[in-house]
Amino acid sequence: MSPFTKHRHPLLYLAILLAGAAWIWLSAAPAGTTTQGAIPAPHAGFLAPDFSLTGLDGEQYTLSELRGQAVLLNLWASWCAPCRAEMPAMQSVYEDYREVGFIVLAVNATNQDNIAAASAFASQYGLTFPILLDTSGNVSALYQLRALPSTFFIDRNGIIQEVVVGGPMAEALLRVRVEQLLEEAP
Amino acid sequence: MLPVLQIGPLALQTPGLILLLGVWLGLTLVERGAVHRRPAAEALYNLALTVLVAGVVGARLAYAARYPEAFLASPASLISLNPGLLDMSGGVAVGLIAGLIYGQRKGMPLSETLGALTPGLAVIMIALALADLASGNAFGAPSDLPWAIELWGARRHPSQIYAALAAGGILWYLWQRRKQPSAPGTLFLQFVALSAAARLFLEAFRGDSLVLFAGLRQAQIVAWVVLAASLWELGKMQKAKSD
Repeated sequence: MSPFTKHRHPLLYLAILLAGAAWIWLSAAPAGTTTQGAIPAPHAGFLAPDFSLTGLDGEQYTLSELRGQAVLLNLWASWCAPCRAEMPAMQSVYEDYREVGFIVLAVNATNQDNIAAASAFASQYGLTFPILLDTSGNVSALYQLRALPSTFFIDRNGIIQEVVVGGPMAEALLRVRVEQLLEEAP
Repeated sequence: MLPVLQIGPLALQTPGLILLLGVWLGLTLVERGAVHRRPAAEALYNLALTVLVAGVVGARLAYAARYPEAFLASPASLISLNPGLLDMSGGVAVGLIAGLIYGQRKGMPLSETLGALTPGLAVIMIALALADLASGNAFGAPSDLPWAIELWGARRHPSQIYAALAAGGILWYLWQRRKQPSAPGTLFLQFVALSAAARLFLEAFRGDSLVLFAGLRQAQIVAWVVLAASLWELGKMQKAKSD
């Protein structure tokens, strides 16, 4: 029996709409149920999982200590062609926005690469942002890495705003996303 | 969740593949339904292609119009394959306008055309839900139910599977009724009403709802308005038929 053809009385439609309105009210989200910002997970809307890694420069970098800055977290390897293709755009955007609270953390998947190749790559492309070495693969696992490159746009509060799996990313995409991150108040 | 299908050195985006498959299956179903009816299958195919191409081009141009400085700094980005550089609302608007112009020029009556396309749209709704399942988007609220799935650090309602099942049910219902005599456009309005009702109900199990005030979910309110409008139109059509 079809509700659209057998019961033609407008009262049925009215009842459907009243039931719908009641359901909206009854299923209103209790405070906190749809805010995922408190839970760490590698997906948009969640808190970026924290980690500490050593960079090629010998410095220790901890993600949670960068709160207040817009962060582009990029997982890459020197043998990955799309990673190589998008690095110049990342460097260009980093140079334009680094003074206004933007940082790139380029995490080399060192467990599938090697430090010498990563270092040569950074020199060849003149990369000035931190190159972090994930020698154990822990950060790749933490961010459920499934393809290289993978990029996470993290806002000033440490919340992931967007994930881009694969590449290369267009420079316009980087510029727009970084400006959106920087527009948000910490 | 399977966002990427790795075949040798090739990393294929699974959600995109599912959507492409959905469009192909949807158009196949439209073709089967259109064999003995107007508009002709070929005209429907061309219309769908026009809407898709115009929609994608329009989405990119609309995005560039919103962020001209970014594209002036990098003009090559205009032809980038990044789906993130698409403005969805702009794409939908341009696609619909292109579809309307094409349909008018080819003399395709709007109500009959929408009715013929409806089974295809229902298939695309299933594909959208499965693409969300592959990417982990549109995830559910935390739940202790036995069928809850582990996703993003918690056991959650399988909201994407709920949506796929609902879309499957709607497709089955509409497919059964596609040959029943009814006013032109009825099948499409039924699809809109059922899809809005499903969204209104299932949004309650989502964990990523946009909340407006007092916990009210934006998607439910929009779905209620769409449901009311489609029921109103259906009511008018039934009244005209009985008069």
